[in-house]
Formats: sequence, C-alpha cells, structure tokens
Amino acid sequence: MKAICLASAMTVVLLALITFCFRLCPSAHRARQMLFVYLFCLAVLVALWFATPDDLGLLGRSLLTEPAWLDLAAMLFFFSAGFFGGALQLYNLCDRGFSLRILIDLLEAPIGAVDVDYLTANYSSGRGLVWMYRKRIDDIVAARFIDQVNKRIVLTAKGAMFADLFIHARRVLGLEPPH
Amino acid sequence: MTSSPTLIALAAATAWFLVFFFVHVGGLRAGFENARWLLISYAACFLGAVVTATLLTAWHHGMQAVILATMMAILTSACLFALYVPALYTVLTSLSVQTMMLLRRLGGALPEAELYDRFASRKITEQRLATLLASGYVAPKGPSYQLTPRGRAIAKFFRSVKILWNLGPGG
Repeated sequence: MKAICLASAMTVVLLALITFCFRLCPSAHRARQMLFVYLFCLAVLVALWFATPDDLGLLGRSLLTEPAWLDLAAMLFFFSAGFFGGALQLYNLCDRGFSLRILIDLLEAPIGAVDVDYLTANYSSGRGLVWMYRKRIDDIVAARFIDQVNKRIVLTAKGAMFADLFIHARRVLGLEPPH
Repeated sequence: MTSSPTLIALAAATAWFLVFFFVHVGGLRAGFENARWLLISYAACFLGAVVTATLLTAWHHGMQAVILATMMAILTSACLFALYVPALYTVLTSLSVQTMMLLRRLGGALPEAELYDRFASRKITEQRLATLLASGYVAPKGPSYQLTPRGRAIAKFFRSVKILWNLGPGG
C-alpha cells in the first residue's frame, strides 16, 4: 500500500510541476521538459521510499507489501505508467491530437455547423492542414526518420527499420496483408 | 507458506492483461470495430483480474490483505492499459507513422507534393470526420457537421487542459 500512496502523491506533484513549468518556463521542447520533471520526481520518489517507514506511520500490518523490493518495483511501475501512459499522453493528445483538434475547431467555429472544406482550411484556429502536416514532417526529420532531398522525402535507415516495425505490428493486428 | 497479496495481485493483473491482449488482437483480426472491442474486452479482463486477485487473497488472508490485493490489481491493470492504448493508437492512426510506412512500401522516397496531397488534403479530414461520426462525437447537419453533447464535453475538457498548460492551438 506504501507503493500506491507514494506513487499517487508523487503523480499529483508531477502534474503540478508540469503545469508550473509550462506556464512559467515555456519551452519549444515540452516533451523533453516533461521528461526532466519526471526524472526529478522519480529520484525524489525513490529517496522518499527509502526515507519513510514501511507503514508510513499509519498503515496496518496486513496492508504492507512483502517482500519490500516488490513494493519499490510496484511504486516505480505505477509512477512511470502514470507519466508515460497518463501525463505524457495527455500532453500528446492536447498538442498533437488531430481528431481532438477537429473537435475543438468545431467548438470554436463561429457558426454551429461547418463543412469539410471549412475544417480543412481552418484547422488549428486557421493554420490549415498543410501547417499540420508540415509540423509532422519537421518532427520526423528532426528525429532522423526521414530526410528532405530536392523536394523529395526520403526514408533514412533508422526510419526504414521503424517503418518495418510498424508494418509488422499492423500485420499482427490483421490490418496489413501478409507477405 | 502463503503468497504475498501483492504478488498475487500483480500476477493476476498481468495474466489477465495478456488474455486481454490476445482477445483484443483476435477481435481486430476477426474484423471487430476497434474502439468498442477494446473497451468490451478490457472491461471483461479487468473484472477477471479483480475477481481473481480478490478470491485468491481471501482464500489465505484477512480482509485488509484483500483490500491491498484488490487495489494492486486495479492499479496494475489500469497502468498496463494506459501504456497499451497510446502504443496501439500510434500504430493505428499516427500520420507520421503512416507517412513512414507509405514511404517504405513505395521504395523509400516520394515527392513532397505527393505526400501533402495524401496527408494534408480534404480527404484526410473526411476520413477523421467519419471516425468521429461513428464514435458519436459529431453529427451531420446537411452537408456540414456539428458537435454532439459528448463531443462538446470532450472538446471543452481538452481545451481547458490546453489553456491550463499554456499550449496554444496545437494539432
């Protein structure tokens, strides 16, 4: 139970710190900023786990996890899943979610109902779909999955390896024809 | 010697999550609609994990240990699901991933304009609107679309997070 208590409390602290950083120290690399906050919180969490008694001064004996290493492992897993599956995904959805942005554009449209052409031209508060795709191309160029050569997009060796991985995953899901 | 309630809970949640994974993949391969099948199969396996952890712990331990095992099973299962879903949707819907897969299939290189035609066109908006329509987030109104109450609630929630986190329009 100590694992649950400490991981839950630190997840709240993590979200508060991320909010604080985003509002007071805005950065172009927000995901990286979040990762630093996570690593800082993770170090504090481990220190707290070793510094506090097993029962946190309030838990009953039968609420203690045995062996102790399992409690530490569970705490690290809960906290890391809270970050990678929770906070980081919330950020990804908010900042990069395509469908979600369409919903927000519909919410912010001057009239109640709009058509496909309006949504295509005014995607992301008027930036348009070309801007959206440019952003994605720039990101995968920066990650060295692709290169831009003479107005052509070329897959790098790293990109080809990951593309194979994704194609294989889709094949497992039955969404790709077999070889 | 009796097993630790935490160990029982972690083992039950992990085992049931594996069952969920195979059932979900099996359903997708059989042609079931992803979002609904994901929720149904996960809900069933989540219940399985909680019931298994609770019963196995109750067999050997007292009430407080059952509470510990149940909470551990709930949290472990939820965490595994929270990690699985983004990975799944990256493979299913990410435009960056689709771009890389398309390039791989077509020999590794394409003119930039061709990619823009495919991924930054009216057609891609139509495809996403069709998905949002099927999920009940938007409704048709003549040739146009409007938010349903459910879609409005989602849009308002995420817009609030964007404002709180100072994110700008994004997308």
